Amino acid sequence: MSRTLLIGLDGATFTILDPLMRSGVMPFLRDFVAGGVRAELLSTPNPLTPPAWTTLMTGRNPGSHGIFDFIRAEERGEEMYFTLYNSRDIRCETIWSIASRSGKRITSLNFPMMSPPPEVSGCVIAGMVSWKHLKRAVHPPDLYEELKRLPGLSYKEMGWDFELEKKILQGVDQKEYEEWIRFHIKRERHWFEIARHLMRTKPADLTAVMFDGVDKIQHICWRFLDPAWTPAAPSAWERTITDLCHQYFRELDSYVAELIGMADPDSRVFMASDHGFGASTQIFRVNAWLHEQGYLTWRDPGLMDEEAKKSWERRLDSNFVILDWENTKAYARTTSSNGIYIRRSPGPGRPGIPAHEYEPFRRGLIEKLLQIVNPDTGRRVISGALTREEAFPGTQSSHAPDLTLVLSDNGFVSIKNITPVVQSRQEVAGTHRPEGIFMAGGPGVKKGDRLPAFAIAGMAPLLLHSLGLEIPADFEERLPQAAFEPSWLRAHPVRLGEKTRSPESPHSGRGPAPEESEDPVVLERLKALGYIE
Amino acid sequence: MGNAQSAAGTDRKPILKEVIGILEDMTSDWDLEFSGGIGPDTRLIGDLAFESIDMVQLVVAIEERFKRRDLPIEKLLMEDGRYVDDLRVGDVAGFLEEHLGAAECG
Repeated sequence: MSRTLLIGLDGATFTILDPLMRSGVMPFLRDFVAGGVRAELLSTPNPLTPPAWTTLMTGRNPGSHGIFDFIRAEERGEEMYFTLYNSRDIRCETIWSIASRSGKRITSLNFPMMSPPPEVSGCVIAGMVSWKHLKRAVHPPDLYEELKRLPGLSYKEMGWDFELEKKILQGVDQKEYEEWIRFHIKRERHWFEIARHLMRTKPADLTAVMFDGVDKIQHICWRFLDPAWTPAAPSAWERTITDLCHQYFRELDSYVAELIGMADPDSRVFMASDHGFGASTQIFRVNAWLHEQGYLTWRDPGLMDEEAKKSWERRLDSNFVILDWENTKAYARTTSSNGIYIRRSPGPGRPGIPAHEYEPFRRGLIEKLLQIVNPDTGRRVISGALTREEAFPGTQSSHAPDLTLVLSDNGFVSIKNITPVVQSRQEVAGTHRPEGIFMAGGPGVKKGDRLPAFAIAGMAPLLLHSLGLEIPADFEERLPQAAFEPSWLRAHPVRLGEKTRSPESPHSGRGPAPEESEDPVVLERLKALGYIE
Repeated sequence: MGNAQSAAGTDRKPILKEVIGILEDMTSDWDLEFSGGIGPDTRLIGDLAFESIDMVQLVVAIEERFKRRDLPIEKLLMEDGRYVDDLRVGDVAGFLEEHLGAAECG
């Protein structure tokens, strides 16, 4: 079976890629799409990097895999204890592990939630890791020293810069735009160099590399990229920034071209993004609104010495919510989750919502949220407020926010103590959208077709089938068969296999693939997925 | 005070030595100005220039080393419901001695 190459483009959208392909900034991608297939790839209910890439990697939705956000937070006394989700929090087996234990060698570069890295057959370098901790995010461990010796490679420039990430929320000063874009141009080059090095020296059955600068640049530079917002008469500075953005995408196009050029001629190539992108035109300050409605009480800092004041301000600057827990019934923990948590009373007379009042309280909250209007436009601010059962069904649902908000501009909420509650942005910013991208080419893949949109959970069966492996019976989406020529599918029929293994079994082993099952449960599942009559 | 014997599957080295080993490995690439050698009095923020993300990674490294994810880390990082300003290496080791040992007794 052919080798498989997956190129992840974090946050990529056809809204941007199509104009760049047409204008000649991304000529390779234009030709690749013309010779293969494309589709919109639909993200997770809250279209966000950690849950969405984890869904791509597991074939399961967040309610099953358990990753809902960047940050995992728990209430502790009068404070919120914050930590980051990591690979140990994923409650489902990943395609890296499934492929590895099925006898395939894999390379996985820069995918989030992969630290600590799984001990698979092949190489893993986790994404979203600060350079200070890359050493512990590499498998096998000696690969780290090997990479440090690569000419021109700066491991310090490969890492995730958490201070820069904060600027996505806070905005970037005009003088910082160039530095921001150049930083990501350099970062992508390093990840490309590593991918190229490993393809040469340690070829894998499945090579996957993710470029995340697309998302970062679109967040800050949306108005320079989306033709709908591009300035009609750009200033010299605006032209410079637009040119730099195009330089980023031009170089990305060349990396994609070279990686595909290096792959075996019979390799199949897939490209995917975790979510799409669009313009955010307003700010909704959810905690300020909850305060106005009487559901949330900010903690009074009281009298503080200079040191305590600095600590308080540092935490506010880092987007901590500092609340009076006794008098708070509902609140949002993070911007990125777009989620509201309802505090449940642990017993009679204790603060929070008693169990029997939970449903009516949540219903009432939804009704009020859906009535909020932007005074500048007269339009509703929130287009949907999904319960955790609706958004994230599954074994991990109880860890999801009680409500997940879908803002009318698909933006992220602000959790800060600032008014007004709703404010139109002076300049548009980039924000996530559910519609990401899918492109594919190679043996068996149709040529020149546009496919119907399909869910990102469909990527996992697609990649495993491309590798010639069985599709686990508990994957939540079927193989997007429309991507392939019927004759190829007849020659390579779908084989449904056993369920995935527990991620707690030590890295799910590396033994041979289990025999094809004739288990009646598996056969029923095949029917349910439409693979057999 | 207990020792590293209480951590499932680990050897019997004193916990302080284990914590120092984790920190030496973690910080070996950091180009720190601090050059005194890591010891129980070394401050994570003051000497090793820890940022909040480094504390998150230290917790992961400790949990991986001692193969435990049920440690009440917030008791180390927070006091009276508030985050402590700085920690010494000895504080971390003391916390582990108390809680790894307690788990074994319990």
